[in-house]
Amino acid sequence: MIELHERTRRISPTRIHEILLRYGAKSLLDPFMGLPTHLNYLKRHGIAVHGGDVLEWFVRVGEGIVVNDLTILRDHEVAEIVEMIPGRIYALDLFKAWEGVFFTEEQCVYLGVWFDNVRNLRSDGQTGLAILGLWRVFCYWLQKAQEPDEMPDLPPSELAWYYIRQTERWVASNMRRNTVRQSDVMQTLERQQADALLFAPPPRNALHHADPRIWMWEAWWQGNPYFTLEHAYRDTLFGARSSDPAAYQRSLAGILSEAGEFPLLIVATNESRLGEIEPLVRNARAKVECYAPNDSEIYLIATT
Amino acid sequence: MALFQEADGDPRVALDRLTDVLTYYGAIGDAAAELAFGFSLRKAAFARSIAVALDVDERLLDAVAIAGLMHAVGSLGNPALVRDSDLPERLATMERWDIPASGARICAAIGAIPEAVADIVRWQSEAWDGTGFPDQLRWNGIPVPSVALALADRLVRANEPEEALASIAEEAGRTFAPAHARAFMLWFHQSGAEAEPFSFPRSILHPESSHPGDLLLEIADRVDRHLGVPGRSRNVLRLAEGSARLLGCSAAEIEALRIAALAFGAGELHDSFESTLDPLVRLGLERRAEHAREGARLLANLPALAAAAPLVAARAEWFDGTGKPAGLGRDAIPIGARILATAIAYDAIDIDTRERPAARRATAGERLDGAAGTHFDPRVVTAVLDAAKAHV
Repeated sequence: MIELHERTRRISPTRIHEILLRYGAKSLLDPFMGLPTHLNYLKRHGIAVHGGDVLEWFVRVGEGIVVNDLTILRDHEVAEIVEMIPGRIYALDLFKAWEGVFFTEEQCVYLGVWFDNVRNLRSDGQTGLAILGLWRVFCYWLQKAQEPDEMPDLPPSELAWYYIRQTERWVASNMRRNTVRQSDVMQTLERQQADALLFAPPPRNALHHADPRIWMWEAWWQGNPYFTLEHAYRDTLFGARSSDPAAYQRSLAGILSEAGEFPLLIVATNESRLGEIEPLVRNARAKVECYAPNDSEIYLIATT
Repeated sequence: MALFQEADGDPRVALDRLTDVLTYYGAIGDAAAELAFGFSLRKAAFARSIAVALDVDERLLDAVAIAGLMHAVGSLGNPALVRDSDLPERLATMERWDIPASGARICAAIGAIPEAVADIVRWQSEAWDGTGFPDQLRWNGIPVPSVALALADRLVRANEPEEALASIAEEAGRTFAPAHARAFMLWFHQSGAEAEPFSFPRSILHPESSHPGDLLLEIADRVDRHLGVPGRSRNVLRLAEGSARLLGCSAAEIEALRIAALAFGAGELHDSFESTLDPLVRLGLERRAEHAREGARLLANLPALAAAAPLVAARAEWFDGTGKPAGLGRDAIPIGARILATAIAYDAIDIDTRERPAARRATAGERLDGAAGTHFDPRVVTAVLDAAKAHV
């Protein structure tokens, strides 16, 4: 049985929006965005948002809910995602390696069907929406494997339909240019300007403690059940190069130094990591305010 | 203009008034959100009880109860709910997602209530699977006190408690964490889905940080903006207070009138028809009486505000006895209600006449004077017109 994380990083976009309003920032870059639902919130409230991440599925989802202003999925298009299309050739055993370990045989077949169907969608926006919707089904199944008697049995296609519809509710335009890119933190910082930089530093060796719901979905998107995060992050700033404490500190300091270009820097952390992060931020910026609404959510706000 | 000043020396009275005004704020939130009367009180009581079942830290239980009370205050001024909102359904839905965050900002600005209340309100509509709003938090990123509020909400909205139980079980793993759904079911069967009636946790308030009079003014301002008549209550308050002094009303009558001037608009929250009608015509009187009844109901059970309830209730009565709802006439209508009705009408006509072309304009004074003896007490009309002149 796979272990699902007890704690989840809490990024509150409503709180970040309040900070942006207070400092008059109209655009924001998050170079380590993860699942970009917070960027979607900020976009819907008029902020021009830009995000980057190493994992491709996060970027694809960003194309669905951050870059995409208009595209949603009509009923027949959802139908073409959730069920097998007659005449299409499917690699039904693509995820057989997960069968009996994480998922049932039926679930593995559906993962294969969805893998092919999503790749046949017509636009990046639709693809992003479908990936996010189906990811929620994937999470539901993993959770249900842990608590089989506590959650209802729902047919895969019904659950997929429900979640894709849930996901596309978030599509909206803010009449601004919003972007996402697949790149490492430093490249994103070099290529994109904004009024504010949001940075939620991952813990050292975060790769080894990543939530399976995150890395397994990248494996699904890559069509490779043997995918590992170490491989994806091999040549990145927070990959193997930052595994020892000194290298990790140097990586953080490097980012904070590069962030000097941004008029407003918001570093999101929590109580347990504040002692490690705060000195680095204060070393990089002269004016730093600590805003701590609760222990799980602490923002170091640096201005020029 | 400050209300409740005479209680400032007595902390116990100040605390009584603060709890009543906060309870009133919760009821106003319900009305703005088009929820049933008493919704927030029931939600607060259930939320506290469910929070115990979810093992919420004991120090936060009272904050959960206050968050239940204040759960819908963010509805005031929400673009999807304000008067004459004509947003397309998709945009209106998105606007509604902001209600918890607006509510959190309102709660955070009320110094008298614990800081924790704001975040409990902020995250009350998040869903375990990340499809909630406004922050789309997921899994254990959602604080448990907010989950208690969400479960209580489901219970209060359901027609039957069993309906809530079924929907929560059905959504285990989606809207609710399986463990929370399980704890709710256990609570449901052990408690019979009943909770102690809401009792305001007064001991955790900081009365020195919020003046109830200022809070009442803030509520009135928000209600006015919600109804599309910004500043109306303050105008009516100024006119009514000035008139009452000219008429020699007692301090107690003036205090009740001040509260009534700030509270009458709340009766219109559930139905925004009134401001489109000329206050001097009979058409719409039934509606105005309904607003009066609704406004009075919001005040009646709150001792600090109850003195204003009869004034608000009788604001659609006419001096000649042909008004609504009771058909009271002359001195049977409390003097405060006569003043309130005249001041409200003057304010409405004044705005209306200013918007008409000059050639077709009869002054507000002329029109009000024409209704003296039928709609309004002639003595009060004179006093209101004098108070209006004095203000100009």
